[in-house]
Amino acid sequence: MTHPKTPHVVDARYMEPPAPFVKTMEMLDILQEGEKMLLLLFREPHPLYKVLRQNGHDYEVELMPDGTFEILISR
Amino acid sequence: MMSFESAPPFAAPLRFFLTAPLFALLAGLLVAIEGPDIFASRWMPASLAVTHLLTVGFMLQIMLGALIQILPVVAGASLTRPLLVATIVHLGLTLGTLLLAAGFYFGRPDLLSAAAVLLALTILVFLSAALTVLLSIPSTSPTIRGLKLALFSLAVVVGLGVLMALAMAYGWALPFPALADLHAAWGFGGWAGILLAAMAYVVVPMFQLTPGYPARPSWWFPVGMLALLLLWSGAVLAGWPAGIRISQLLAAILGLAFVGLTLRLQGKRRRARADVTYRYWQLGLAASIFALLMLLTVALWPAVAEYNGWTLIFGILLIAGGFLPFIVGMLYKIVPFLAWLHLQNEGQAKVPAPNVSKILPNVDMQRQMNAYAGTLVLLLVAALQPEWLSRPAGLCFALVSGWLWLNLFGAIQRYRQHKQEILAKLAAL
Repeated sequence: MTHPKTPHVVDARYMEPPAPFVKTMEMLDILQEGEKMLLLLFREPHPLYKVLRQNGHDYEVELMPDGTFEILISR
Repeated sequence: MMSFESAPPFAAPLRFFLTAPLFALLAGLLVAIEGPDIFASRWMPASLAVTHLLTVGFMLQIMLGALIQILPVVAGASLTRPLLVATIVHLGLTLGTLLLAAGFYFGRPDLLSAAAVLLALTILVFLSAALTVLLSIPSTSPTIRGLKLALFSLAVVVGLGVLMALAMAYGWALPFPALADLHAAWGFGGWAGILLAAMAYVVVPMFQLTPGYPARPSWWFPVGMLALLLLWSGAVLAGWPAGIRISQLLAAILGLAFVGLTLRLQGKRRRARADVTYRYWQLGLAASIFALLMLLTVALWPAVAEYNGWTLIFGILLIAGGFLPFIVGMLYKIVPFLAWLHLQNEGQAKVPAPNVSKILPNVDMQRQMNAYAGTLVLLLVAALQPEWLSRPAGLCFALVSGWLWLNLFGAIQRYRQHKQEILAKLAAL
């Protein structure tokens, strides 16, 4: 799956915990320097945010009209 | 999605979850002991005691315990000292509930005022702990905004409750019926209703694999409900009955819209098997529709409230039919999940945690839920035939509440056994 914001997308909207967390971490591992990934979820993943901040990743969040949170994470 | 570092110790929420069903059990026993008298009016001492055993003893107990656990997950707001807050709030709430119920039941002004002071202080401790972290966080999601507005409503509910309890104790003249309705409106619509919506935005898609709640209605539901409650309060203060009815009508419509939206999302769920949480929510949603339709009807034709059993049936549908099933449905997800999460952590990625169904078997929850649904029907029929059925209905309610406690306690026992096994395996590595 690709997206206008980035080709690296984890669509975790119909996944049960902890799959969204695990898939995001796996995707971050394979990203190249300067690349970004997009996580799609129907909620804000605050525990993930905390891990991202601890590991020095920047992220931007946008809430779409259908209730999807688009979380754009820099490597 | 949940990481361990942000989770408070298991003991913090557990004490609330294991205490709450005992208050529901007590409420059922009180109905069984009092019999038909309790069904005569919402103003009977025993009715007031039962109502508060359920709302403060069961609902508030679980809501606050769950919030201590879940604030870091849904809002990124970790309480500074969760275990200390849990200890104080649990103790204050438990003693406060007992004093309050005893104060109503035995008609003791001294107990009522002691309960009012204790509960007010307890909620103050909780609110200051929660708001300290929550207010510094921007409302980036409808859930965070909802949580803030729900906590504001909690302050109003408790404020009104304390005012009425002290007025009863000291004989102050107050317009009790209008204030009691307002107290209930802030409690069910503002505190429990907005909190439920704020949690539903997260847990319905997460646990039931449904689409998300659309952004626009999610932002506006909590604000709309709060605005209606402010209108209702203003109408009570100004002595404007039409304003009260307009707020009731609009609050009922808003509630129905939320329930309808949730049902639509559930209809699109991607989990093929309907689990106990889903079924408990369906029960809650169905009963809420009837309760809200009754609220809508009484706003349009206030005279129907005079109909024998009307207020009682409304109360049963709203509390035992609506909110309790939502709460129990969530407990049945949260308790095994937390146990699993803590076992996962104990295993240090070397020893795997057992599946959640090993911690709380599905069949145990399913049977308790079937019994609960049957009890709800019995309670509703008892409201029409209190002479014959009020005592059996109360007894059944006590039994299903005890069953809930046994299920949760069993889960904790199995969690402890697994923990010992994991520690033994780790030591042997």
